[in-house]
Amino acid sequence: MEKLRKSLTGFVVPLLSILLAFVIGAIIMAAMGSNPATALGALFQGAFGTAASVGTTLNKAVPLIFTSLCACFAYKCGVFNLGGEGQFLFGATAAFCTVHCLGLTGFPGMLAAMLVGTLAGGVWGMIPGILKITRGLNEMIISIMLNYVATLFMGVIYTNWIRDVTVPQTPSIDGSLKLSRVIPSMRFTWAFVIALLVGVLLYYFLYWTAPGFKLRAVGLNMTASRFDGFPVNRYILISFIVSGAIAGLGGASDLLGTQYRLINGYGAGYGFDGVAMALIGQLHPLATIVVAIFFAALRVGSTSMQVATGVPTSVSDIIQALVIVFSVAGMALTKLPEFEAFRLRVFQKKGKEGQKA
Amino acid sequence: MEELLRMEHISKRFGSFYANRDVCLTVNRGEVLTLLGENGAGKSTLMNILIGLYQPTEGKIFLNGQEVRIDSPSQAVKLGIGMVHQHFMLVEAMTVFENIILGDKNSKGLFVDREARKSEILALSQRYGLDVELDKLITDISVGAQQRVEILKALYHGADLLILDEPSAALTDIEVEGLFAIMHKLVDEGKSIIFISHKMREVLHISDRITILRAGEVVTTVPCEETDGQKLANLMIGRELSGSQYEKKEARGETVLKMEGVKYHEGSKHNGLAGVSMEIRPGEIVGIAGVDGNGQTQLAQIVTGVIAPEAGSLFLKERSVSLYDPSAFIEEGVSHVPEDRNLQGLIGDMSIADNLVLKSIGSDAFSLGKGLLLKKRAINAHAEKMVEKYDVRCTSTGQEVRSLSGGNQQKVILARELESQPKLLVAVHPTRGLDIGATRFVHDQMIDARERGVGILLISADFDEVLEMSDRILVMFEGQIMGEFSGKNPPIEEISLAMTGK
Repeated sequence: MEKLRKSLTGFVVPLLSILLAFVIGAIIMAAMGSNPATALGALFQGAFGTAASVGTTLNKAVPLIFTSLCACFAYKCGVFNLGGEGQFLFGATAAFCTVHCLGLTGFPGMLAAMLVGTLAGGVWGMIPGILKITRGLNEMIISIMLNYVATLFMGVIYTNWIRDVTVPQTPSIDGSLKLSRVIPSMRFTWAFVIALLVGVLLYYFLYWTAPGFKLRAVGLNMTASRFDGFPVNRYILISFIVSGAIAGLGGASDLLGTQYRLINGYGAGYGFDGVAMALIGQLHPLATIVVAIFFAALRVGSTSMQVATGVPTSVSDIIQALVIVFSVAGMALTKLPEFEAFRLRVFQKKGKEGQKA
Repeated sequence: MEELLRMEHISKRFGSFYANRDVCLTVNRGEVLTLLGENGAGKSTLMNILIGLYQPTEGKIFLNGQEVRIDSPSQAVKLGIGMVHQHFMLVEAMTVFENIILGDKNSKGLFVDREARKSEILALSQRYGLDVELDKLITDISVGAQQRVEILKALYHGADLLILDEPSAALTDIEVEGLFAIMHKLVDEGKSIIFISHKMREVLHISDRITILRAGEVVTTVPCEETDGQKLANLMIGRELSGSQYEKKEARGETVLKMEGVKYHEGSKHNGLAGVSMEIRPGEIVGIAGVDGNGQTQLAQIVTGVIAPEAGSLFLKERSVSLYDPSAFIEEGVSHVPEDRNLQGLIGDMSIADNLVLKSIGSDAFSLGKGLLLKKRAINAHAEKMVEKYDVRCTSTGQEVRSLSGGNQQKVILARELESQPKLLVAVHPTRGLDIGATRFVHDQMIDARERGVGILLISADFDEVLEMSDRILVMFEGQIMGEFSGKNPPIEEISLAMTGK
């Protein structure tokens, strides 16, 4: 009963924020002279209307799922990894270089790419972790800075070292490396399945194992965890490495699944999108996946909306941003003592009755 | 003498708890009034009311015979009330001069007339003998000098009434002499001082009158010359003791804990240990009496492995400890009811059930394959059992521990720590903030544990509790053990004097 109440309140804030964001989005559409109902209808039609569009949406969700799981895992241990983008890109870059330079093909090539991508992401995540626990440096700043390093490193590769003749991009990976579609008629690939598996694995680890339990304890109260004999620093470092590895695997999967080559602008924004989605998903790995798919849908559907009704895609961007604003504000609101008092006043009666029963 | 401040029937209530109840207090012009009381006696609350941080629930404040409302710290400054906090409120990266003119009411407009301000401050500092170097950074001057800056700052902002909160705590003896000289000078110039301190010698030396607070109420106000340390200690602790309801025991056998000459930050009087030795045997409660902040926190953290001593040795079950790590100590059977239950003991956002298995989550009882799969049913069943056994009042075991009352939170910690079958239990302020019922319950559980052969180290600032529970009493003062007393018919007066360093 208690659990039910808690998970219900967990849903209320994100759902309300989404609703509010859509209401405001609709007002903007109306102000622009379009019918909000038709526009939103076109948006959903574009995202989920046909088997093909569902496939596109799921495919679009893949990098978002990985980076949001990456942010989610670090948050669960009480540290802020804002370097999801860098870890994602470093993973993709390392995976690309491995298969390209060693000339790997086929299944061994895929495996190698994913393994190297995961390792590279883990290393990239480890750097802020080590600096935090040994020198006390702020992990947010370090991880953000490393985003630039990773982006520029990728830049060196596609502009100089492995350039595709005259275009500032790398050649595509070998055709045998490309991940195939799960269902031939739908565009999403096995990368999506990998993303789902990672999410389920994270959920299992965090909520059903003792180390996961301790990691959450460290995230919620480091001092008490130290007093209880948990190796706090080790957990922090591990959470950074794993978090980075998730993003790195995401980079490799996305490279093999959709992207195929390194190119200017690749991955921009994925890291911060992931942080926002993890927060909206209340840091629950499974909820985070749902949120990531929802955002992907908004992005995919916005193009159809523009084509069908002339409402620009930027309205969809506004809605996405509003969802983030409202849910973060909503979560802050629920932490206020005034809100707690209000909640108690409303629920007190029910609580008391429950106690008697 | 002319009256400067009068507080009439001041009460401050937090929920159902009275931090101050019906307090009356007067301060005359040109006198030092000392507020004396144990921790939690309500001194800080009273002073926070005076400087506008809290609003009294009831009561009136008169300044120069006029009733005033002090609803903010800036209002207090306007009225001429200045406070020097125990922990200085200075901006370390700024100079002395800049710190003093922060929030200056004389500097209207965009620019500060630095030279004029400087000469004003210099004049003040010469008048009161407050020797400071205006252009030095706060980080570069001594603690004593920082305190002079605080006093000068208060005077510069026009304070007639200065509140000094344990001003001697951080000072060396010579600096304390200097402080007293300054206080004399201030009083001679017609300023008034409220002085807060625990140290009998200083209090008797500097005060004109002494107001004793206990449990939020004024016990009495006495002129300094009519009293002595012994009388004050008794008034402060307020003891008309009935015997303890628990039977006192004498324990023999091998020690569960032995400390030999343990040192930690020896130079720090208030946060260090200067060579502590003690022994605890199975089946006895050793109580540490003493005013808060005489090294008790550090003692508790060393015997639970949170911090490592700098010198000396520690033996658990007669074996020397080399690794100071909480998990190693837990392994050896050391349980800890920590000082700050929310910060150090519980994970507030986790459920009661989760908090109860915090230390044993990886054990076979609660997980398969050494932690690979949690047995949630076993965890919940355990929680139901513990909630029943330890009388934790809650709506369900899935409730977040944060939402419980202090007493019930403490019961959750106690359940976790006692169910682990400890050899040694370290309990720090185990009943702080608890009501009588919960206190009684915690005490009974500790006595039960003693009967089962657990050695217990009880650290408490509540003297009653130490007397009630302890089989042996050690008194701590400035990081040292001042003496050991039997828990059976303890010599209360001797102990209370030892607590003040005599």
